[in-house]
Amino acid sequence: MLLRLALRNITAHKKSSSITALLIAIMTVLLVFSSAWMDGSHNTMIQNSVEIYPGYIQITGKEFRNNPSYDHLIFDAATIELELAENNDIAWFGPRFESFVLFAGEDKAVGGMLTGIDPEKEEHLSRLSASLEKGEYLGAGDTNQIYIGYELSRRLKLDVGNEVAFIGSGADYSFAADKFKIKGIFQTGLFDFDASTAFVAKDYFDQIMAAENYATHFIVLPKQPGQAEELAVTIASSIGPEYQVASWNQVMAGLVKAMKLDSVFGYITLGIIFIVIFFVIMIYSFLAVFARIREIGILRAIGTTPKQVLTLLLLESSLLAFISVLIGGVIGGAVAYYFHFHPIVFAGMEEQFKQYGLAVSAMPTAFMPLVILRDMAVIFVLSVLSTLYPILKINRFRPVEAIHHV
Amino acid sequence: MSPLSACADSASEIIKKVENNLNGKTAVIVLSMMVKTKRTERTIKMESYSIGKDKSFIKILYPGKDKGITFLKIDNSMWQYVPRIEKTIKIPASMMLQSWMGSDFSNDDLVKESSISEDYNQRLLEETDEEYQIELLPTENSAVVWGKIIMSVSKKYYLPTRVQYFDEDGILIRELTYSEVKPFGSRFYPTRWLMLPKETEKEANKTIIEISRAVFDTEVDESYFSKRALRRYSK
Repeated sequence: MLLRLALRNITAHKKSSSITALLIAIMTVLLVFSSAWMDGSHNTMIQNSVEIYPGYIQITGKEFRNNPSYDHLIFDAATIELELAENNDIAWFGPRFESFVLFAGEDKAVGGMLTGIDPEKEEHLSRLSASLEKGEYLGAGDTNQIYIGYELSRRLKLDVGNEVAFIGSGADYSFAADKFKIKGIFQTGLFDFDASTAFVAKDYFDQIMAAENYATHFIVLPKQPGQAEELAVTIASSIGPEYQVASWNQVMAGLVKAMKLDSVFGYITLGIIFIVIFFVIMIYSFLAVFARIREIGILRAIGTTPKQVLTLLLLESSLLAFISVLIGGVIGGAVAYYFHFHPIVFAGMEEQFKQYGLAVSAMPTAFMPLVILRDMAVIFVLSVLSTLYPILKINRFRPVEAIHHV
Repeated sequence: MSPLSACADSASEIIKKVENNLNGKTAVIVLSMMVKTKRTERTIKMESYSIGKDKSFIKILYPGKDKGITFLKIDNSMWQYVPRIEKTIKIPASMMLQSWMGSDFSNDDLVKESSISEDYNQRLLEETDEEYQIELLPTENSAVVWGKIIMSVSKKYYLPTRVQYFDEDGILIRELTYSEVKPFGSRFYPTRWLMLPKETEKEANKTIIEISRAVFDTEVDESYFSKRALRRYSK
């Protein structure tokens, strides 16, 4: 009975109902899309930064992260390899040996990072191979061939096929030097990285750097990247306390924090918009309810209890909010869904992104039904709350007062 | 003249004497350097030719793998020739603080160590019967590595016995001890240099230089001090 009455009332007051519904729906679309956009762009940024080179999980010697010296290496890479091979949650893993050296071209010397990698495993662990710009990526049997960052090759004034020398120190602190032929040039888009790094096959690297069975890092790609943190804990307990196992959110703590802060600012902005909309709805409901004050007075006069009136009005506002949120949620969700598969591309913004260490210009939104439901619930509660005050206020009138109210 | 400036004066005179005694007009020195770290221990043997404090040439004799690597220092620049890569490389400024040949000495030590009379203000801290203790603080315009150096100088030889290097925050970073002074011709020279890093992560490290042969103030062929010499004398 009340439900039918409520429905009738909503349809009877077409104008006020539709404006309230529109406001609520817009608010829902806005929130659903903003959440999807923020989550999506942050995930993309983090995923990109993680996948270009650092990897989801890094294993190092215990002290290495604080003090990356040759005293804190992984001295028994073979054992770690055996342990990791037994873990079924790992998709790929591979060793790296990073070493700070001096690269020398024809007439210029530049400091940088020379890293020994397992070329085949690295193909799955990072985007190095996919970032090939010129020439070829490394192969397993490569000896003194080097895969070098674009900016670094430019600074050394070298091209594919040219020779580059390096001097540095081996894992035993002895003097190390060699000549490499440039096999390929890569460009990840991260300027600092491209300007300072070069890679050689680890088997050969180990010979010249006296690094046999040593590594600075093991990089692990989980079968489920979302489970990186849990997997890191499992690995840590299996390889023992001599090593440190860090998931990407520890390795890239700075970026993760920056993204969180960005979300906070995003929600603050949304919050301000919502406060404004909240009061607009409240004022609007106030006017709408007061326009019906005589009608309510009559209802009371013919014996409807205040409780019934309250229920009726609440039912009206809940119904309206529910329908609007549903419409808004569907529209917002559809937009989020569309941009999830058709990412927004910021053509020409690559330079700005690079300043934040981001090598992406396409940002897909995150389409997560649970988050959309959460956002819809938030707006529903907000809109019902905003009508609560007008409803309670009007219910305090006595029938006679109400009927005579102008 | 006030007593203070008299002190400052004598402090700078002491440092000048020390520098002269350490560098000589010319010096040809054969030395071995033992580098010890937590895990490894290596010995490198080399030969060094120098004129005053501005020009020096070093050639590695041992181990075989590094034999023929040469270094040339002229004023504040440093070049290195590596036979394995057949290349002469100028060590860039950014690499100056890197370890030299894996030891606890840095490239900068080889290049700049001897300019303490110019880049630092000297002040006599203490005088005992055997030693002077001199504090060296960088002059305003000098681009130096250390925030403070304290040098103990033996009165007998006017040679350093201990040099302590502090960073800008006054924390002791490393300590160099000179000992076993022996006569070489008319000169006395410390034949054992011990460098101990004081940072906790390098606790286990030390570098010992032992001088086995030294000839001072003879003619040293000027041809050692050109970039061409790096390759030429590498063999």
